[in-house]
Amino acid sequence: MADPHRKPELPRRRFLLGSAAAVAAPYVLRLPRALAREKPAEIIVRAWGGVWEEALRKGVSDPFTAMTGIPVRHDLTEDNEIRPKIWAAVDQGRVPPIHVNWDTTTNATKSALRGVTEDLGGLANLEGLLPLAKPAGLDGWPLVNVYSYAYVLAYSQKAFPDRAPESWTAMLDPAFRKRVAMYDDGIGLFAPAQVAGGGKFEDIPEAMEPCWDFFRRLRANQPLLGEDPDFTNWFQNDEIDLACTIISNAREARQNGIAVSWTVPGEGATLDTDALWIPKGLPENELYWAEQYVNFALSAEAQQVWCNALGLPPVRPGLEPPADLVGDVAYPASEADLGRFLRIPTPVLVEHESSWFEKVNEIMQG
Amino acid sequence: MKSCRADIGAGRGPRVRPLGLRLLDFAETLRAGIFPARLSGWTPYLYLLPATLVTGILAIGLAEMAETSLHVLDRATFRLDPAYTTANYAAIFGKPVYLRIILKTGLAALLVTLLTLLLAFPYAYLLVRTPHPRLRRLLLVALFLPFLLGQVIRAYGWLIVLGKQGLLNAALALVGLGPVSLIYTYGGVVLGLVQYMLPFAVLLLAPALTAIPREVELASESLGASPRRTFRHIVLPLARPGLVAAGVVVFTLTVTDFAMPEIMGGGANDFIANAIYDAFFQLSDPGMGAALGIVLTVFASLIVALAFLLVGVAALGHGAQQDMRAGS
Repeated sequence: MADPHRKPELPRRRFLLGSAAAVAAPYVLRLPRALAREKPAEIIVRAWGGVWEEALRKGVSDPFTAMTGIPVRHDLTEDNEIRPKIWAAVDQGRVPPIHVNWDTTTNATKSALRGVTEDLGGLANLEGLLPLAKPAGLDGWPLVNVYSYAYVLAYSQKAFPDRAPESWTAMLDPAFRKRVAMYDDGIGLFAPAQVAGGGKFEDIPEAMEPCWDFFRRLRANQPLLGEDPDFTNWFQNDEIDLACTIISNAREARQNGIAVSWTVPGEGATLDTDALWIPKGLPENELYWAEQYVNFALSAEAQQVWCNALGLPPVRPGLEPPADLVGDVAYPASEADLGRFLRIPTPVLVEHESSWFEKVNEIMQG
Repeated sequence: MKSCRADIGAGRGPRVRPLGLRLLDFAETLRAGIFPARLSGWTPYLYLLPATLVTGILAIGLAEMAETSLHVLDRATFRLDPAYTTANYAAIFGKPVYLRIILKTGLAALLVTLLTLLLAFPYAYLLVRTPHPRLRRLLLVALFLPFLLGQVIRAYGWLIVLGKQGLLNAALALVGLGPVSLIYTYGGVVLGLVQYMLPFAVLLLAPALTAIPREVELASESLGASPRRTFRHIVLPLARPGLVAAGVVVFTLTVTDFAMPEIMGGGANDFIANAIYDAFFQLSDPGMGAALGIVLTVFASLIVALAFLLVGVAALGHGAQQDMRAGS
């Protein structure tokens, strides 16, 4: 039988326990966040080589390391090669091989559609970016576009001493047989080829015969097919006179003392974007710091240096363009300038680009 | 006879059993320790087990690839459609581009094999027969130096030598000749591959030529045969095992090559391996990549099988030489 005069002990214990819990709660609740911020040994960012890697190092990676003390390693595996590795890692529940992927927006969108990208919607520096930064045709922020770039018609000044070529059809001129170059999959040339081949840009992707006809005629001129670093090398080694390439590659050749210039011919030039995204499956603390890396890459400080080194317009408005590109036809300085370029919507590229690559391959393999 | 051998052995110091035989002894002791005596009839199969395991793993991989090849890519999710279909194979055999790539690859493999054997045979013959040790050393160094560099470095070396501003064009310019374009062409790819394959062929031919006794050639010549006739009726038939082995190795390495057409081809001279790479990595289509991989495997296997059918598998062994010696 219970003693009615006995002081109840349980409430006191409960009180002590409750007090201890109340004092500890904020620390206990903050523990996962503290663990989440434990610094990883390094952050691995997939990057393109040459001027691309140098620009990333100077503009983003080195300042990030200086700020956080976390070393950043650039993995120069081709974007197309890292993609299946990440996809396989996520599917198999393994930790992906990199923390941040610097990728073309089309490829990044494919990964987002496959569901292997983390949502970046919580990043503070998404605020105030140009609408171009937002991925098209996707919910949320499974990736963020970081700058835009034009595929220009680059030319050697020796071959065009008086004035720039006015049309993409210059690439078809037999005088430049074996002296023209394009990307090995035709990327960047689809839209101008459609217009230069006598078709309408609006007819992409439904009626692209003019585009394929342009590529067939170009095939007769035996173009060199390559990747970004090839164009700089080819201009340096005097292998080519004309190339459809990203402005950064032509600019690098010029900065290396090669007499190379570029233009946006009358038919227009393709404008596209690159993106950053984080693969799923990273440990919580590594995900946190990968997000901090992407967030920093979107800051005005990083965008100014990174994009200027590449010669590309950033998605953060109000920054100073590089001195050598002020007023350049291939450097859109405002939102209105973007309208001058040929922009194939990302969803169209995601759906059709692979078959266009196949078509170009079919034509070029003769 | 036994005591005679023992005497000879005693005269040269204690005989050391060759390493290969000692390893076999060790394996036999190990087998006797762990393998029940009543299963001793299965011993030969036990020795086949490692090779069977390696081949089995390859076969599993091949089966996996064959299964993957029967799915098409769903471009809404970028995953393979679970439904089985032969659409990838229909695309390979229905699209002219893939047939062209297969033909280009096959033709290059044949050309490279022929040219390599033509160049490797005299090289290997001189290497084996020269009485001058210094020349032999020189030939070996010349053979192995590029062999150690690797294919990618050698391909870039060719770009430097044959490029617009390369050594060849600089030399031509000295004598007033215009620049020639040899890189980024089909011929350039074949040239690079022949140079890459030469050491493989020489190394496979040299043992076969060493096995031909010099006395046989001398006997032929002393019986009045011209050097040409000796070469045609004595050396060439006896070198057949080496020629077949070198031919098969060079052909299979060429038909599956990736780096040389990638670097020297300028993008327009792809082999099947390049098409496989494009399917996997550029198009993100593992179904098509796997189908092309199966086609390449079947294509290469058929050609090699045909070669063995024509010359006989026995041509690879020394039995063929012994048969010929007995016949002659």
